[in-house]
Amino acid sequence: MSNEHTVKSYEEELQFLKDSLIKMGSLTESQLSDAMDAVIKVDKDSIDKIIKSDEEINKFRSKIDTQIMNLLVKRAPMAIDLRETISSLKISQDLERIGDLSKSNAKKVKPLPLDLPDELLGNLKRLGELVMKQLNDVLDSYVNKNFDKAKEVWEKDEQVDDLTYIAMESVIDFLSKDKKNLDFSTHLIFATKNLERAGDHITNIAETVCYLVKGEYLKGSRPKGKVIQE
Amino acid sequence: MSNVKIKSKNLNVYYGDKQALFDVNLDLNEKEVTALIGPSGCGKSTFIRCINRMNDVIDICKVTGNIEMDGMNINDKDLDVVSLRERVGMVFQKPNPFPKSIYDNISYGPKIHGKGETKNELDQIVENSLKKSALWEEVKDRLDEPGTSLSGGQQQRLCIARAISVNPEVILMDEPCSALDPIATAKIEELIDELKKTYTIVIVTHSMAQAVRVSQKTGFFHLGKLIEVGKTEKIFKNPDNKMTQDYITGRFG
Repeated sequence: MSNEHTVKSYEEELQFLKDSLIKMGSLTESQLSDAMDAVIKVDKDSIDKIIKSDEEINKFRSKIDTQIMNLLVKRAPMAIDLRETISSLKISQDLERIGDLSKSNAKKVKPLPLDLPDELLGNLKRLGELVMKQLNDVLDSYVNKNFDKAKEVWEKDEQVDDLTYIAMESVIDFLSKDKKNLDFSTHLIFATKNLERAGDHITNIAETVCYLVKGEYLKGSRPKGKVIQE
Repeated sequence: MSNVKIKSKNLNVYYGDKQALFDVNLDLNEKEVTALIGPSGCGKSTFIRCINRMNDVIDICKVTGNIEMDGMNINDKDLDVVSLRERVGMVFQKPNPFPKSIYDNISYGPKIHGKGETKNELDQIVENSLKKSALWEEVKDRLDEPGTSLSGGQQQRLCIARAISVNPEVILMDEPCSALDPIATAKIEELIDELKKTYTIVIVTHSMAQAVRVSQKTGFFHLGKLIEVGKTEKIFKNPDNKMTQDYITGRFG
């Protein structure tokens, strides 16, 4: 653990920034989880609430931006403080994008029929759970400055890719059985893709945490799973 | 890879019973800016004063260990200190022009070192030195005015011009901007950037931001010891030593 700053208010500002980011992270987690639930349960009542919570996340983002700008101007942070400040900027951007993707998924619920077969949603649910776990783990790694855990998340994105592939396949299978499924199936495909992209933002966060802790970027390219050709 | 211009090995300095430097091993690269940082009294100034034997003027000061410039032993008791100081110029915290005209401030050094035999040659040296120190345009029409009539920032550039007038190889700067406003500081920093193409520069500074801006290499001193030295970027983004980190982030107790 580092000693405290000679200037107490600097210490407080950095702590305040970390606290804001953790709050933003937990808000993003609940929103992702709510959006996932809404898709799986085809719960149209919760859509508005999820869209609303995205506004909250965006507010956090701009609040964090302001905090970071003030820190840069007032303190000209160095070394670990500089990495902490820059990492917060990057992580808050990724969290905001994850929030956007959750919002987008919530909107996809509207056109879905209420009687979707379980086998169609099963793989999507598994993918959602994995992405949730990844987000939870990466935020833990940030809070505890745990390099190994962050690296584990980074490596595990391969599984997100694989599950995305499987979930896509089941939607395409379903779609090919009956053309009239086309309407809402495309929405499910987008929802799946959104989860995969959220996974990518989570690996960005994992990379940032690794940089924050060790001061150097992860070397080599991330292991990649199967991907649907775009 | 740059050549090493100055090399210190197990350099120790004592002021009477008090040891000011402990086994300092530090290489300064040619045509590069090395910044020395650390809390007051940590030995940074003592270290740079070893390079031009300024410590000689303090009776109780004793230097042991090795310090070399281009392989030449700086501590050699037979070394001609005047010619050493011709090769190693120095700029101090407070601008200290001679109580003479701007022209004489610059021409004095070359004269006593036997450079610039004729008025014409001296004129040329004065003009070149003032141009190199980015002061020429501001003073060319009033070279006979006293150096002390200039503003603080101009005086400091005059002192830099004076240092480079004898065509040294190394310039030592001991907190050269601490008495200057931000604009004058920016001008000196811009100048340092230009001067490093020709000279090896060592700068002692209390401004972390300045060290980052002007130097390629940074050494952190604490209680007379060189704690960490490395590429400036590395020192300020991700230092290896916790003490360095605590100092540059303002956590020193």
